Amino acid sequence: MCIGTIKGCEKKLIMSFLSLVVKNPFRNKTRSALAIVGISIGIIVIVALGMVTGGLENSTQSTLKAGAAEITVIQTGSSSFGSGGSLNESLASSLLNISGVKDTTGILRATNTSTTVSATTTNSSAGGFGAEGGVSITGIDASKLSLIGIDTVNGTEFTNTSTNQVIMGTTIAQSLNKTVGDTIDLYGKNFTITGTYETGNFITDAGIMMPLSTLQNLTNNPNKISDVLVKVTDNANVTTVSQSIENAYPNQLSTTTAADEANRINQGLSFINTASWAISLLAIFIGAVGVINTMIMSVYERTREIGVLKAVGWRDRRILGMILGESIVLTLLAFVIGTIVAVVGVELILTLSPSVGGIIKPSFAYDIFLRAFVVAFLVGVIGGLYPAYRASRLSPTEALRYE
Amino acid sequence: MNNENIIEIKGLKKSYDNGKIKALNGMDLEVKKGEFISIMGPSGSGKSSLLNMIGALDRADEGSIKVAGIDLMKTKKLYEFRSKEIGFVFQMHNLIPNLSVLENVQIPMFETKTSSKDMKKRALELLKAVNLEDKINQKPTKLSGGERQRVAIARALVNHPSIILADEPTGSLDSKTGEVILNLLKDLHSKENVTLVMVTHEPYVGQMAERIVTVLDGKCQNIIQPPKQDN
Ligand SMILES: Nc1ncnc2c1ncn2[C@@H]1O[C@H](COP(=O)(O)OP(=O)(O)OP(=O)(O)O)[C@@H](O)[C@H]1O
Ligand SMILES: [Mg+2]
Repeated sequence: MCIGTIKGCEKKLIMSFLSLVVKNPFRNKTRSALAIVGISIGIIVIVALGMVTGGLENSTQSTLKAGAAEITVIQTGSSSFGSGGSLNESLASSLLNISGVKDTTGILRATNTSTTVSATTTNSSAGGFGAEGGVSITGIDASKLSLIGIDTVNGTEFTNTSTNQVIMGTTIAQSLNKTVGDTIDLYGKNFTITGTYETGNFITDAGIMMPLSTLQNLTNNPNKISDVLVKVTDNANVTTVSQSIENAYPNQLSTTTAADEANRINQGLSFINTASWAISLLAIFIGAVGVINTMIMSVYERTREIGVLKAVGWRDRRILGMILGESIVLTLLAFVIGTIVAVVGVELILTLSPSVGGIIKPSFAYDIFLRAFVVAFLVGVIGGLYPAYRASRLSPTEALRYE
Repeated sequence: MNNENIIEIKGLKKSYDNGKIKALNGMDLEVKKGEFISIMGPSGSGKSSLLNMIGALDRADEGSIKVAGIDLMKTKKLYEFRSKEIGFVFQMHNLIPNLSVLENVQIPMFETKTSSKDMKKRALELLKAVNLEDKINQKPTKLSGGERQRVAIARALVNHPSIILADEPTGSLDSKTGEVILNLLKDLHSKENVTLVMVTHEPYVGQMAERIVTVLDGKCQNIIQPPKQDN
C-alpha cells in the first residue's frame, strides 16, 4: 500500500495520530485551560525563582574575582559589615609585615540615612543585603580601589584630597537615576559623582565610594577605619594568611575571606533554592493531581468512543499512547505558557522597579528552562499514566454499552 | 461463487455476573461468505452479545467460534483480527466529534501500514460511495443522523473487512432515512463483496436479508428464508 520508503510512511502515519493527540485536549477547552493554568503556576514558580536565584549566584561568584582582596580584617566582635571606625588607620601598614600579605588598605564603612537616598532603603532591607536603612558609603584610597573589586571606573576616580567627589555603583546610580556629573546630597553636603563602577557584586554595586579622609571627617572618625582589605601574594594560601593575621593580633582582629563570604551568601541561596524546590514540588503535586483529574474525566466522558476505537482495531498500546500524549500536550503547553509568563513577569518587575532590577540580574541559564521542561514532561507522564492505563484496559463491550 | 462458511459457531456460551445472566446459551450459527443475514429477537435475547463474539470484542466462555478462518477462542491477536476482518456499524454512529468526516473515516487505518496518501484516497472513495463527498471537511456534529450513519458505514468499510457487523444501524433513524441506510449497506455489501450480519428489531428491515436468524434466550431459534424479492 505504501509508496516510498517504509520510514516515510510510518512518519506520515505518526503525524496523523499526533494531530489527533494534539487536537483532543481542546475538546473541553475550559477544563483543559484550568489544568494548564494549574501547571503553568508551577512552571512560573520554577522558572522565575530559577532566574532570580541563578542571577544572585552569578553575582556571588564575581565576588571571588581576581585582583580584589581575598581577606577582610575587622575588629573582633564587630559585625563584618559594621559601620564606624574601630581600628587604627596604621593597622593597614602593620599588616604588610605578615608573611604572604601583598597589599593592604584600610577602609571605613558608613551608612548614610539622608532622605535623598531613601529609595534604596526599602530595597536593601527587602533584599536582606547591604547596609540597613540607608545607602552604604565606603571611604577608600583611590589608588586601592582594585582591592575592593573596582578595576575600571566609568568617568574618573575621585581624587584623594577632594572633599566633594564620589564614585557610585551602577545599581544605586540606576535606582537614584544619577549619572556621571550629577550631584548627590550626603551628610547634608553636595557631592559630585565623578564616575560609576560595576563589579558584579551586588553589595558593592549598591554602594558609594569616597576618599577615606573625607568620610573620616564627615563621620567624625579621625584616623579610624572599620576594615582592612588584604591581598595575598600569588603563591600564598588565603586560609594560612588569615590564620597568621588572627594569630598576630589575638582577640583583636578577625578575618573573613571572600570565599567565606561567598559561601555564606551561597548558603542563603541554597536555602532559597531548597525553598523554591519545595514550592515547585508542591506546585507539581497540585498540577499532577489536576492533570490526573482532567484526564480521568476526559477518559470517562469518552468511554464509548474508546470502545469504538477498540472495535475498529486500535491496540491497547495506541489508546494508552493517545491518552498519555494528550496529557503531555497539556503539560508542555503549560510549560510554554508558564515560561513566557515567568520571563516576561520577571523582566517586567525588574524594569518597573529599577532599584530591584539593579540588584538582580536574572539568569537565563538553559538548565533553568530544561528543569521546567523536564518537570512539565514528568507531570504529564505521571498525571496521564493512570488515566491512560485505565482507558487502555477498558473492556470494549463494557465501553460500548456505556451510556 | 464459493460456499465456504466465513462464520462457524457451535455451542457458544457466554454468561455475565458470575453466571447469573446467560447472554449466549449454546448458540449455533453458520454464515456463508458474502451472505447478508439479519438477526432478530426480543430485547435481551443475546443479539448484541452474539455480534460482539463474532467481532472479537469479547471472549466466549465455552463452545467454538471460527471467523474468517481464525479460531477466536484461541487467537491472541484480537486487535489485528478486528482491524483486518471486521467493520462495525452501531446504532449510535459513535463518531469522534472533533475530527472531520474524512478523518473519522481514516481512524481504523491507523493500525494498518497505510500511507496517509492511500488513507485519504480510500476514505474519499468510500465517502463518495455513501454520497458525502461534499461534506468531507464537516464535523460530525453538523451532520444529520442519516449522514452520520453513512460516515459510520464508510468507516466500517475502510479497511476492506470481510464482515460488516451492524447492530441496529437504523434504530435511531426515522424509517425513510433508515431505508436509505439499509439500501446503502446492501449495495456496498455486494459491491465490496463483504458478508453482512445485521441485528434489527423491525421485521421489514429483516426481510431485506437473504436469511433471518431468530435468537431467543441466547440460542438460535429458527432460520427463515424470506421470499426472494425482486430488485
Ligand atoms: N457486559 C455485560 N454485563 C452484564 N450483562 C450483560 C453484558 N452484556 C450483555 N449482558 C446481558 O446479557 C443479556 C443479553 O444482552 P444483549 O445485549 O446481547 O441483548 P440484545 O439481544 O442485544 O438486546 P437488545 O435488543 O435490547 O439490544 C442481557 O440480559 C444483558 O443484560
Ligand atoms: Mg443489542
